[in-house]
Amino acid sequence: MKSIESDRPSPGMLIGGAVTTCLVFASVWMIFFVAPTEATMGDVQRIVYVHVPIAWCGLAGCVVMGISSAIYLVRRDLKWDYRSQAAGEIGWLCSTLTLATGSAWAHEAWGTWWTWEPRLTLSLVLWIIYAGLFLVRSSIEDPYRRARIVGVLSIVGMSDVPMVLMATRWFRGVHPIAPEMEPRMKLVLWVSVISFTALFVLLAAVRRRQLETAERITQLEVADWSAGVASQS
Amino acid sequence: MTTRPTIRSLWWLIHKDLMRELRAQHVWPGMVLLGLVIVFLLATQIDLPLDERSRVGGGLLWLAIFFSGTLACERSFAGERDAGCWQALTLYPVAPSVLFLAKMAVNLAALAILELVLVPAFIILSDIPFGAQLGPLLLIAALGNLGFAAVGTLVSGLTSGLRQRSGLMTLLLLPLMVPVVLAAAESTRIALVGPIDALWWRWIQLLAVFAAVFTVVGALLFEFVMEE
Repeated sequence: MKSIESDRPSPGMLIGGAVTTCLVFASVWMIFFVAPTEATMGDVQRIVYVHVPIAWCGLAGCVVMGISSAIYLVRRDLKWDYRSQAAGEIGWLCSTLTLATGSAWAHEAWGTWWTWEPRLTLSLVLWIIYAGLFLVRSSIEDPYRRARIVGVLSIVGMSDVPMVLMATRWFRGVHPIAPEMEPRMKLVLWVSVISFTALFVLLAAVRRRQLETAERITQLEVADWSAGVASQS
Repeated sequence: MTTRPTIRSLWWLIHKDLMRELRAQHVWPGMVLLGLVIVFLLATQIDLPLDERSRVGGGLLWLAIFFSGTLACERSFAGERDAGCWQALTLYPVAPSVLFLAKMAVNLAALAILELVLVPAFIILSDIPFGAQLGPLLLIAALGNLGFAAVGTLVSGLTSGLRQRSGLMTLLLLPLMVPVVLAAAESTRIALVGPIDALWWRWIQLLAVFAAVFTVVGALLFEFVMEE
């Protein structure tokens, strides 16, 4: 069993954290000072530089959750369930922010906070699937049973991702798909995508370590309690 | 396992569930009654001109079918748990995928019976001429039922051993069913109010792909559902 001391952040994680912080600050600075103001929507269009990266992270979280769960079901190693849970939690956070930023953008672009457009509807479905999985997780105590049931559901939930991606093309929705952009706008968008993806990976890694540490603490408590019972008898 | 014994096992599993339902009538009467109540309530709310009614009627009918059909799916495994038959079920000398297909077939039968009652009731109460497009509507119903039964059976198996299984089953099943509900409602609307065009076939393709994917995924993953 690893000691709790070994849970101190590794040099790799510290360097990754520093790089990610720099990237996020750089992308925020670029959003406000490098990206030109869009002619029609004005400053509101800058929401896109946050909305697109976190929407991508929300979808990626669901895919990572499903793939990690599939690996768990094959290998039965709980560390893959922790990866699945961590990716799911951060993915759900991104999914929530996607809906919020998209709604703010829609209010300015379409004059409404919400419309039952196919991509919006399926993004909301993704959010509900994430939330449902957390409820299932919280209702099962046995970690192996929890990992198995949530694992199967995560794989099934992954089916929503291609539908979200293709919804606008398949069902003639009004959500913009790859609009024409000026080179500086494209640059800022790409920097944002890279920095938010790095932030997603970092947060998921930190959360996974938290879950592993919590599990080890539980094991130590159980071992301590068992030793206490044995010494009394 | 060769094909013939597999088909025989599949048939006996379906037969077991159908006989249990026919003898005890645990689920289907309640499901049909719930569906009728929903249809009645929805029909009272669409006092609109015919073209408007046709536009929204299909979606409302599918909602009624899927809401009440959830009851059949939920009970398909909950009944096994309640009666203490789950262990016996896991000991059957059949592949888990066969068990999944048998349960799915029984849920398909439940949905077909539900539709045999709800569709005529909805036609009478709403006065929407569903009969004019019988062929396309039967295709929508067949594919929609397959998708619903596949996902419903899988989620029911997963949640059957959990606390608050009924609430969790509904919470998990309904979001997963949104693509089917959307596709069935939209394709029904197009069939009722407009020509059968490329968009209609797009929705039908979605229904077909959804049904095929979830039948295969359900059969493959059911091994993990059956573990204790």
